[in-house]
Amino acid sequence: MFYWSLIIILLGIYSAYIFGKSRITSHSRQLEIKTASLPTYYAQYIMVWCLLPALIVYFGWIIFEDQIIQNLVLANFDFDLNPALNASLLISEIKNVALSDSFAEGKATEILNAAEHYASIKYVSSISFYLSILIVMILGVMFASRKLQPSFPAQQSIENYVKYFLFFCSSVAVLTTVGIVFSLLFESLRFFSDVSVFEFLFGTKWYPYIPIREGQSGSQGSFGAVPIFAGTFLIMIVAMCVATPIGLFTAIYLAEYASPRVRRIIKPLLEILAGVPTIVYGFFAFVTVAPFVKTFGQSLGIDASPTSALAAGLVMGIMIIPFISSLSDDVINSVPQSLREGSLGIGANKAETIKRVILPAALPGIVGAFLLGVSRAIGETMIVVVAAGTAPNLTANPFENVTTVTVQIVIALIGDQEFDDPRTLSAFALGLVLFVITLILNIFALRIVKKYRERYE
Amino acid sequence: MNNVKVSTKNVNVHYGTKQALHRVTLDINEKEVTALIGPSGCGKSTFLRCINRMNDLIDICKVDGSITVDNEEIISDEVDVVSLRSKIGMVFQKPNPFPKSIFDNVAYGPTIHGIVETKTDLEEIVHSSLKRAGLLKEVKDRLHEPGTSLSGGQQQRLCIARAIAVNPDIILMDEPCSALDPIATATIEELIDELKNKYTIVIVTHSMQQAARVSQRTGFFHLGELVETGETQKIFTNPENEKTQGYITGRFG
Repeated sequence: MFYWSLIIILLGIYSAYIFGKSRITSHSRQLEIKTASLPTYYAQYIMVWCLLPALIVYFGWIIFEDQIIQNLVLANFDFDLNPALNASLLISEIKNVALSDSFAEGKATEILNAAEHYASIKYVSSISFYLSILIVMILGVMFASRKLQPSFPAQQSIENYVKYFLFFCSSVAVLTTVGIVFSLLFESLRFFSDVSVFEFLFGTKWYPYIPIREGQSGSQGSFGAVPIFAGTFLIMIVAMCVATPIGLFTAIYLAEYASPRVRRIIKPLLEILAGVPTIVYGFFAFVTVAPFVKTFGQSLGIDASPTSALAAGLVMGIMIIPFISSLSDDVINSVPQSLREGSLGIGANKAETIKRVILPAALPGIVGAFLLGVSRAIGETMIVVVAAGTAPNLTANPFENVTTVTVQIVIALIGDQEFDDPRTLSAFALGLVLFVITLILNIFALRIVKKYRERYE
Repeated sequence: MNNVKVSTKNVNVHYGTKQALHRVTLDINEKEVTALIGPSGCGKSTFLRCINRMNDLIDICKVDGSITVDNEEIISDEVDVVSLRSKIGMVFQKPNPFPKSIFDNVAYGPTIHGIVETKTDLEEIVHSSLKRAGLLKEVKDRLHEPGTSLSGGQQQRLCIARAIAVNPDIILMDEPCSALDPIATATIEELIDELKNKYTIVIVTHSMQQAARVSQRTGFFHLGELVETGETQKIFTNPENEKTQGYITGRFG
């Protein structure tokens, strides 16, 4: 039904456009007045006024139709008399019966009646849907066509509409963020009604299992997230220790030392590295790096587990290299050539110039690249799942199994879970913490960048 | 007559296949200001950048011929470019202070060359360089503010201070006043006049008045060739070459 309405809307705005254009042209010819704007702008004006009401009706209908029909159908049932009736079960049953006769067999008469009722309301609804779209489009065009006078500055209006449209687009991302925050917040609040905030933030034992029945043997669930944060932090540190120096030195080589030919080869290769799916890194870490780390640990006399924070961190560091090198390379390249010449002109050699002039000038961008890398490291899931294990160990030893926030979220949400189980809800609390941390990180990064901007520009 | 400080013979410069300079032969005297004038694209900046081997930075640029500084050949792979450049300071068209404090800008050269041993020596050099560049009075209370916070003319004098802090013999100036207003320009010109007592100065300029005001000798470039060279006064009053005559009287260029 909605495809047809889209076709109606498209045809509608097309004819509105044609109508507007011919109308204003004939109008100005009759009155022998030159129009204030080009005829196209009048046509666009009409088009906007045709499209907007149609879209409002369209989306309003999609959002509210189902609910309204359900209420109308369910109004026939008296829930007070029969408390066993579940409204949502009932309505899905009615819908099924209405859709297909095969469901109708052996159903109570009142259900069958309700299904018939449902089908008829649905039919009326779809007819009135098409009609109301048509009507609001015509009303919109009629309303707007009053302005089809040669003296009306249509271009300015269009300009304004464009502005509103752009504002709308830019607010989508912001509103989505706000929405995410609130959904995280509410689900987290549900979680914190079961588990105390204090236990979650400072408890050191993560054992997210709630006993199914009273007096069940085995331990009580425990939601201390410190091991998870510690694991995330540990892997992030390992990853950044790999990625920052290698990425930065790669960038310096590419920007300052590499010949154009070498640069042409290396840069795309690095960018390919950035495009490798993280799960592929994950099994590289598991199959190749983790055994190596184990052997290496044994050679040091440390008992390393087959999957370890070190293995995951090392590979994650490799994954982040292209982000840091590519961004830093751009930043270093954008340092003005005049600064290089100024330094070399004093008799500084290349290394001194890079160390004392180029890098300080590029620092804000490099810090930005670093923090982007950090947020990638914190948000990465697949490598950790595969290569670091899932055991929530509280340890600073990178040869041991650890787990991260994102991995625990995945674990909490897969499988058959009820949505009021604290184990499932813990995912939202963890997500909230992750969100807050990255937010703080970003604010921090922006402040650093701004501080240097003010000083150096 | 002063000693010859820089001597060039048959210098050719190619950018790829395009020849930018044709057999330029020019002597630059010690402790004098030599001005290089000529229309845009005539090769005067290219020539200037040959003297401190700055053209090395451009991959496609090839320099041949002979340039001697203090009778030592510098167009050769064996030359230590870094120490050559520490002897030859350069001031650029657009002021290019480093993103550092005023103090650190001037201290940069002395630090990397290890000229100074103690912090007091460094402060001494920074102060005297700023003073010689005529900037000390204006900035002495804010030496630790960024160099980029200064005005354009002050920035250019900071760059001059930065260049003379390593105590070079020669200062190359590539249109140092083209981004400045007339007042800042006048200050810089006075400064150049003063600096010539201690340094050999080569200045590329678009302004013939400036060349006439500050220089003792002038070279006129046209289409990659050094057309005429001689004492400034003679070039501007009684040039031998027709093209020079045309340029300085404003008939072309």
